[in-house]
Amino acid sequence: MEIEIFGWTLLDYFQTIVDGVLYGATYAIIGIGFTLIFGVMDKLNLAYAATALAGAYFSWGVGTQIPLPAPVAYVISSIAAGGFGYLVYLCNFRYIPSGAPLASLLATVGMLLFLEELIVHSTQGMPQPYPALFDDVMLEWGDFGMRGDLLFVFCLCVLATVFLLYVLYRTKLGMATRAVAQQPVAAQLCGMSVQGTNSTTFVIAGAIGGIAGAMIGASVGILSPLLTVPVTVKGLIAAVIGGLGSIPGAIVGGLLIGAFENTFQLLRSVTERDMYVMLLLFAFLAFRPGGIFGTASRHE
Amino acid sequence: MLELRGLSKHFGGVRAVDGLDVTVERGQIFGLIGPNGSGKSTTVNLVCGVFPVTAGSVSFEGAEITNSPPHVALGNGIARTFQNIRLFSELTVWQNLWVAQNGQESVRSQGFFSRWLSGNRGQRASVEEQLEFSGLADKRDEPAGSLAFGEQRRLELARALAARPKLLLLDEPAAGMNLEEVKQLDERLRWLNEQQGITILLVEHVMELVMGVTHRIAALNFGRKIAEGSPAEIQQNQAVQEAYLGRSEEEGDEGGGSS
Repeated sequence: MEIEIFGWTLLDYFQTIVDGVLYGATYAIIGIGFTLIFGVMDKLNLAYAATALAGAYFSWGVGTQIPLPAPVAYVISSIAAGGFGYLVYLCNFRYIPSGAPLASLLATVGMLLFLEELIVHSTQGMPQPYPALFDDVMLEWGDFGMRGDLLFVFCLCVLATVFLLYVLYRTKLGMATRAVAQQPVAAQLCGMSVQGTNSTTFVIAGAIGGIAGAMIGASVGILSPLLTVPVTVKGLIAAVIGGLGSIPGAIVGGLLIGAFENTFQLLRSVTERDMYVMLLLFAFLAFRPGGIFGTASRHE
Repeated sequence: MLELRGLSKHFGGVRAVDGLDVTVERGQIFGLIGPNGSGKSTTVNLVCGVFPVTAGSVSFEGAEITNSPPHVALGNGIARTFQNIRLFSELTVWQNLWVAQNGQESVRSQGFFSRWLSGNRGQRASVEEQLEFSGLADKRDEPAGSLAFGEQRRLELARALAARPKLLLLDEPAAGMNLEEVKQLDERLRWLNEQQGITILLVEHVMELVMGVTHRIAALNFGRKIAEGSPAEIQQNQAVQEAYLGRSEEEGDEGGGSS
């Protein structure tokens, strides 16, 4: 006889959590983007998730003119989001004095709203179809199944993350980025330009964000203008839960949120689930403000 | 090689450096001494563009470089160490040297990919050379922040050398060192100067080092130059002795410059 909790079997929960973790990879990437920019500049870029989705919308826009195969659309999304990332750097960070972090923060809020309006305007506020890959594949083991498209989303996000970690920890560019974050003056005297590495960070973070944006569209099959704020919030929560500045933390945080929200979607409903995600954030801020891997809690 | 003309830096009402004229010839080890707060470190910071100058000029190899940003100063062939060590503490010893290589002129002229990806074999070999020279080869994969104090100093010097500078600015490299370490540093500086042909501007309090290794010395007090000459001349100089020991009431104001 099956054990049931709140009317669902253990297999149902397992299925839900696996689906959630697969989709959570997109939140993980958005969280990594927030954390990366925060780590390098010590400032939050709240427009980050919006640039990621703007990249996806850009590739959708190109797709309406010329029919694009899905992989090409994803690449265009990534490149466009990298470009948007650079624009955000120019508008909200480059010319705002580094001693005024609040000015940059509020400027990125403005940029978030601006990009959202731009998306609403260019789509008349309607959800638009976005190409998926492997959406007709279903891997099955008895009653347990894995959606091919979600599995693809997960794998591509993992690839993007591995690429980012490679750049950050194995190339001179990544070393320079970390050097600038640790010792800006000394880094300049070792021939690294602070502006150069900062803008490169925005472009690279933007480019992997574009992958996440495309994957968010691909896993649902549509892009909706209602996505910007929730994705921003969940990416931020992933970064905060993991500890701002910690990349492994953002990865774990993102996957956790994916599993968490999917579980509550199963138990309650799709309209209610985001409230529980917010509660998770409150719980972390109250009991573990430094996040899973963070250090802030030590300073209490 | 390095010329400072009327160099001044005022912080509010404080004249940290005030109308300083100094010429460092190619191939020299030039010492800059003076009591605490006499403007030595500020001078170094002005030369490599950390602060904007208030007045005066800095020229290097005949070209004016006043107020050029720090990473440009390095491109010109100037590298430095810091009084309070500033390593990239989360990077390993090897990585600290590896990133600093990008200051080299030969590396800077290369394309984006060869500069910023994993670099070529020649670049890696030259990092090994620096590791060998600084005696840190066995610590190559340890985070710089975990090294002992003396090792951090050696790594900082190696990092400055990784950029293959023509002029090396050393800001109190012997601070906190014991006599044995000072002796090693002395030999190292001579070797760099004589074998590698690197011109050195040495800011230092430790007189055993300055008097032994330098060719020429300028002494500062309250941001002004009060004496310049060979180590022997500086040791005899009354104004310098007064600046260090304090001036007695009866004596004249030869050693002045207080503002």
